[in-house]
Order: sequence, then structure tokens, then C-alpha cells
Amino acid sequence: MTAATQARPPGGASAPERPDDGAGRAPAPGRDPLRPPADGRRRALRWLAGGGVVLVLVASSAIGLDLPTLVAGGEDVANLLGRMVPPELSDPARIATLALDTVLMAFLGTVLATLLSVPLAFLAARTTTPHPAVAAAARGVITFCRAVPDLVFAVLFVRALGLGVLPGVLALALHSVGMLGKLFADAIEGADEGPREAVRAVGVGRVRELLNGVVPQVVPAWVSAFVYRVDINLRTSVVLGFVGAGGIGFALQDALRGLVYPKAMGIVLVILVLVAGMELLSMAIRRTLLAPKNPRYGRDRAVRLAVGGAAAVLLVVSFVRLDIDPLALVTSVPALLAVAGRTFPPDLTTLGPALWEALLQTLAIGLSATGIGVLLSLPLGLLAARTVAPHPLVYGAARTVILVVRAIPELVLAVVFVAAVGLGPVAGAVALGIGSIGFLGKLVADAVEEIPPGPAEAVRSVGGGWWKVLFAAVLPQGMPAIVGSGLYLLDVNIRTSTILGIVGAGGVGFLLFEAVRTLHFQVAGGIVLLVFVVVLLIERLSGWIRAQLS
Amino acid sequence: MPAGDEPLVRVRGLRKEFDGTPALGGVDLDVARGELVVLLGLSGSGKSTLLRCLNGLHRPSGGEVTVAGTRVDRASARELRHLRTEVGFVFQQFNLVGRLTCLENVLIGGLGRVRGPRYGVSTYSRRMRAEAMAHIERVGLAAQAYQRADTLSGGQQQRVALARTLMQRPQLVLADEPVASLDPENAGTVMDLLVRVCAEEGLTVLCTLHQVDLALGWADRLVGLRQGEKVLDRPAAGLTRDEAMAIYRRVEPAAVAA
Repeated sequence: MTAATQARPPGGASAPERPDDGAGRAPAPGRDPLRPPADGRRRALRWLAGGGVVLVLVASSAIGLDLPTLVAGGEDVANLLGRMVPPELSDPARIATLALDTVLMAFLGTVLATLLSVPLAFLAARTTTPHPAVAAAARGVITFCRAVPDLVFAVLFVRALGLGVLPGVLALALHSVGMLGKLFADAIEGADEGPREAVRAVGVGRVRELLNGVVPQVVPAWVSAFVYRVDINLRTSVVLGFVGAGGIGFALQDALRGLVYPKAMGIVLVILVLVAGMELLSMAIRRTLLAPKNPRYGRDRAVRLAVGGAAAVLLVVSFVRLDIDPLALVTSVPALLAVAGRTFPPDLTTLGPALWEALLQTLAIGLSATGIGVLLSLPLGLLAARTVAPHPLVYGAARTVILVVRAIPELVLAVVFVAAVGLGPVAGAVALGIGSIGFLGKLVADAVEEIPPGPAEAVRSVGGGWWKVLFAAVLPQGMPAIVGSGLYLLDVNIRTSTILGIVGAGGVGFLLFEAVRTLHFQVAGGIVLLVFVVVLLIERLSGWIRAQLS
Repeated sequence: MPAGDEPLVRVRGLRKEFDGTPALGGVDLDVARGELVVLLGLSGSGKSTLLRCLNGLHRPSGGEVTVAGTRVDRASARELRHLRTEVGFVFQQFNLVGRLTCLENVLIGGLGRVRGPRYGVSTYSRRMRAEAMAHIERVGLAAQAYQRADTLSGGQQQRVALARTLMQRPQLVLADEPVASLDPENAGTVMDLLVRVCAEEGLTVLCTLHQVDLALGWADRLVGLRQGEKVLDRPAAGLTRDEAMAIYRRVEPAAVAA
């Protein structure tokens, strides 16, 4: 063998003019082999991405969101926060009661949603539905529940049943069906057909076939979805008070209306502790219940019995403590249906151009908020991924920021920003944008942590440093998940921006709540219908884009 | 073989532990320039760990490791990055970015030579693209240059990974079970290509394998590892299959006799 100190590949430097020597080469002759071949789908995606960026910029300027405004707004917020410290907790007994009510409302709402979602999911799942038409109808109901924001349900139900906790619980329940029904049905469709066939072969009927062949397979996914939803509903239930549907949000709005900022800050801190506590609890439940370290039948069953028993006790406590008559759940249905009936036929004309303007503003808020959210969440989410963070301290700090932001409901953020920079869409967009960190930052971090580590090791082994590993291995692999999460964020932000109007943060929500307040139910129906259509269109679009990417 | 020259790889008393579990217990190894050395051993015998200690993907727990004049065991992060630009690494699982085209995966091999991060084929200079294309042609995959890497078969993917290593213009190639994930026919093709290309370029190769027959066919020298210790180090010429197989004995010969 010969010794070669420096190996050079053949033709390395002189290659540009290299003729197309053909052997086994597919591209058409005459085409520049160093330029990627034309790819229609790729080009379409690129145009779509460019269009998206332009759209976000147009939307931001349309609602008057620019850099000087942001800088000035930052000062205003700092000012406001200055006036909020030191936080104050007057009447701790009352706050504690309201906090407990809030937690119980979230729990009860989710339990009711689960009871509604289970039969709906069996009807909606392709594999268990009695007829495709039934499946389509069930999916339609589920989508409708998801598309109508919980606060909109709450406003309508407060009108039907009067101020109190019950309309709030029902609103939470109905909106949660939108998520639980879908996740439950997806779990059923993903279940293995084999065990079901085996149960059928024993000669039992349809109900027992589903109960013994399907339910055992999907229970872990269902429990996981339930715990996750309790977590989400706790965040929502703290703001239900804004529309008179009970809970701690009532006290918060009181404090803000009275300009008692230290007191408001005290309540916000209580909310933060509540939500963070729930996050920890749900993590613990998921770990012990769904992924026990050392599964042993006896202990496993004891844990399940204990958790189940605790849930049952909590359910009874909820009814007693919130003073809800279980019968009222049934007897209130006619009143709810009556209000729902009064929104028909939806009225799109009475408000005239104001309606369309408000709708456009809602879209603009959602788009700019998503722009802000992506800009903030992408770097933060990457640093919050254990595999990417340059130092464990950076990882810890980034994860903490995400957790804290996640704990603050968007509407509370919106209230703070409205108080700081004044009424209008800018406050809403910034609040939603910052709130997005808690959502998108976590999704980005989790997705990046799941990327296979091999390619990153390969880049390191050619001598690449942190930046090169990030751009050559991490981002290319994580891109589909990141884009998918970004689209999901847009979806969520547009839905949320329809209710920002309730705290004066712009969008169609103001008109909606005014319409309900002044008993113009058909106008409200028209607005809900428009929101529904918009959300549906966005869902379809993002579904298509995600399919193109994978 | 250039006698008297400083060996390209010089390892003395290399130890490596993972959370207190010893993986390598004092290994000595020299590899001369242009030599092809095959490391044999059971999985868990420390072969991969040894390779990863040579380019600093793992930090040695003790001992001296010198590669191409760099003391790997005490190199700074910057020196390590520089060393890695000169050391190619071929992985068992190829470690291609599945969503990217073959061409871009090969271009990643040239990252050590450019400043700043890159994303997408068009962010690399035309010259580098031409060079990458030449390497893809050399491994016989020119027609697949713009296909996504994950649409290729395992053997083809390993050939792309080989082109990526060539793109690096290395002095030394470390190959960690390069054909263990491939069927016998593809394993033969890839191994043939690896050895041929490295010989043409005069590269030094240190390759782990677990097929004794492949090892006897290709290697200049065989090194056997068992439980983190070197148990064999002999030129391949004159070594019999049975002698090589002895590396794989799980237990001490005395215990077998009993």
C-alpha cells in the first residue's frame, strides 16, 4: 500500500464544466446537474411559505402593529407591572374558595365531556360506526363543538340559565367534546382489529365485542386525553368568570375593573400556582397510571383503584361544593336548546360591513399573533430541547419560561395588555403571540427531542459545531413537526382571537358578546357560523399542507 | 507500509467508563498510514467505543490517544472539531438525514471546510456541489442524486454515507459496523466499494466488523477485543479462520474444558 498524506477526490476542483457523462443518469440532457430539478410541489410549498410571511406582515400593519408600537408597549407593560408589585392577597379565604370552585368546574366539565364523547367516538370511528353517514354526522358534531370557543358557549348558556357555575361547567363540557371526541375516535381507529375478531369469534353481540375487544386497547389513550383536557379546562375555567360563569376569573375581573392592580397580580399568581400544580399532578398521574416502571398485577390494580376512587370522590365533592343538582344537567337541556334555537336563522346582514371588518380584524390578529409566536417560540423551543441546548442551565431556563407562560391563560394576558397599552387589536395580538410560547415552544422542544440522534452525530463527526449541527441535522429533520405545530398554532390563535373582544382586545368577539348581551341571538348565530366556517377552512388548509410535507 | 514513520493512530492504555461501567480497560493500538485494520469482537466488547474515542465523540476516561498528531484525550472543543474534519466516520445506521436529498447529505460532509451554518443545496458553493456530485457518481448513484435519502435501499444509503465521508477529504476513515445492517449481497458490494475507494485514495481505515470471513478477506491486520481488552493483534496473512474465531469465545478456555 502507498502512503498518501493528503487525499484529494478526483476532479474535485475542475468539475463545474464536467460534461454529462451519462451512465445511469436520469435527468434530461442539457440540464444543469448541479441545480436541483424542478419540482412542482416543492415550488408550490415555497410560494405558500412566502405568501404566508407576506400575509402575516400585511396583517400586522393592518392592525397597527409595528416595531415602535411594540417598544412603546413594552414600556407600558413594564409600568403596569411596576404598579402591580408587591402583589396583595386580600381576603384569602374567598380567593381560596373561588380557586377550589375553579378546579372543580374544570374537573366536572371534563367528566361530562367524557360521558358525551365516548358514545360519540364509537359512532364517529370508521371501524365501529354502524354506517358511514352516521360517522360523518358524529364527526360533524365533534368538529362543531371544537370550532365554537368555550367562552361563546358560556355566554349563550349564561343567557339561558342565568349567572352561575352551571352554565360554565356545561360550556366547558360541550367545547371539550370537540377534542376528546376526536382523540377518543382516533384511538378506536388505531386499535388492533385482531382482539376484536377474537371476541366476535366467541359469539357475543356488538356491545360486548366493543367492550371486551376494543375498550381495553384504547383506555390508556383515553385516560391520557382526559388528564390533558382537565389541564386545559383549568386554564379556561379561570376566565369563565369574565362572562359571569363562576370561578376565580370573577374576582380577577373585579380587581382589574376597580384598578386595584396589586390585588389583580395576587390573583394572577394564585392562578399560576393552580395551573402549575395541575401540570405537575397530571404528569405524575400519567407516569404512574400509563407507564408504570415495574408493572405488577397486584400493585397496578391497587393504584388504578386508588386513582379511580379518588376521581369518584372528587366527582361527588364537585356536585356538592358547586351546588349543582345532577338532575339539572338534564332539566337544563330544553333551556339550552331554546337559546340555540333562537340563533336560527343566522343573521349576517344587520351588522353590515362592520361584521366583515371585525372578522378580518380577527383573522389579522390570529395571523400576527402566530407570526410573533413563531419568532419567539422557535429559538426558545430549540433551547428547551435537551438534545440541542448548549448547557443544562440554558435548558432549565428555557423550559421554565415555557412552563410559566403556559400557566397564564391568554385572556388573562390580554387583560393585562389592554390595561397597559389600551383597548384594541394590538393588545390582543401581542397577548396571543406571547401566550403562544407556552404552546408552540413546548411542541417544538418535544418534537426536536424525539429526532433520531444519528445524523447529528454524523455532522459532529465531520467537524461541525453547534450551529452546523443545528442547521444540517436538527432543523431538516424537525421541519415537518415544526411547520405542523405552527399551522396548529394558527388554528388555535384564530379561534382564540374570536373571543378576545370580550376584554376589549379587538376582533369579532366584541360584536358577538354585544349581540348576546342585547339579546340579538340571530346576529350572534351569524357570527358563530362565520367563525365556524373560517376555522374549518384553516383546518383543511393546514391538513393539506401537513400532508404535502410528510 | 512506511516503516519508521509516526503511526497515524497511536493509543496507549485507553480506558473508558460509562457511569462507572467499564467499556475499555487499557487498550494499546497503533495504526500506520495506509493500513486497513479490522476490529473484531462481540457486541459490547468495546469496538464502537474505541472508534468513538478516536475522533472524540466519546471522551476517554484515561490513557493517551493521538490521531494525526492531535492528542484527542486532552484536545479542546475547537481542536476536536478540527481533527474531525480530517477523520471520516461511517456509521452502522448510515445516519443520513432522511428528508434531504442524497446530494445535500453528501454536502454535509464538506461542512467542516466552510464557515457558518448551511441549509439547502443552494447554500453551498457551486464548486462544492460539483465535488459532491463527483463523489455520488463514484459510488454509482448519480441518478439518485436528487432523491430523498430515505427512499433508497440500505445498501444505497450506506453508499451515500460513503460519498459523504469522501466529501470530507479525510486522512483516516473510521467505519463502525458499516455492513451490519445490510443483507449479505449488499454487504459485499458496500465493503468492496469502501475498501477499493479507500485504497485508491490511500486512506487509512479502521473498521469494526463481526463477519470473520469479510475481515480475513479485506484486512491487512486483525485486532480482537473481548470485554474491553485487546486479545488479538496480528497481520491477516497467515491467520486461520479458527484462530480469528477464538475472539468470540464467551468464556475463558479453562471453563470450556471443565
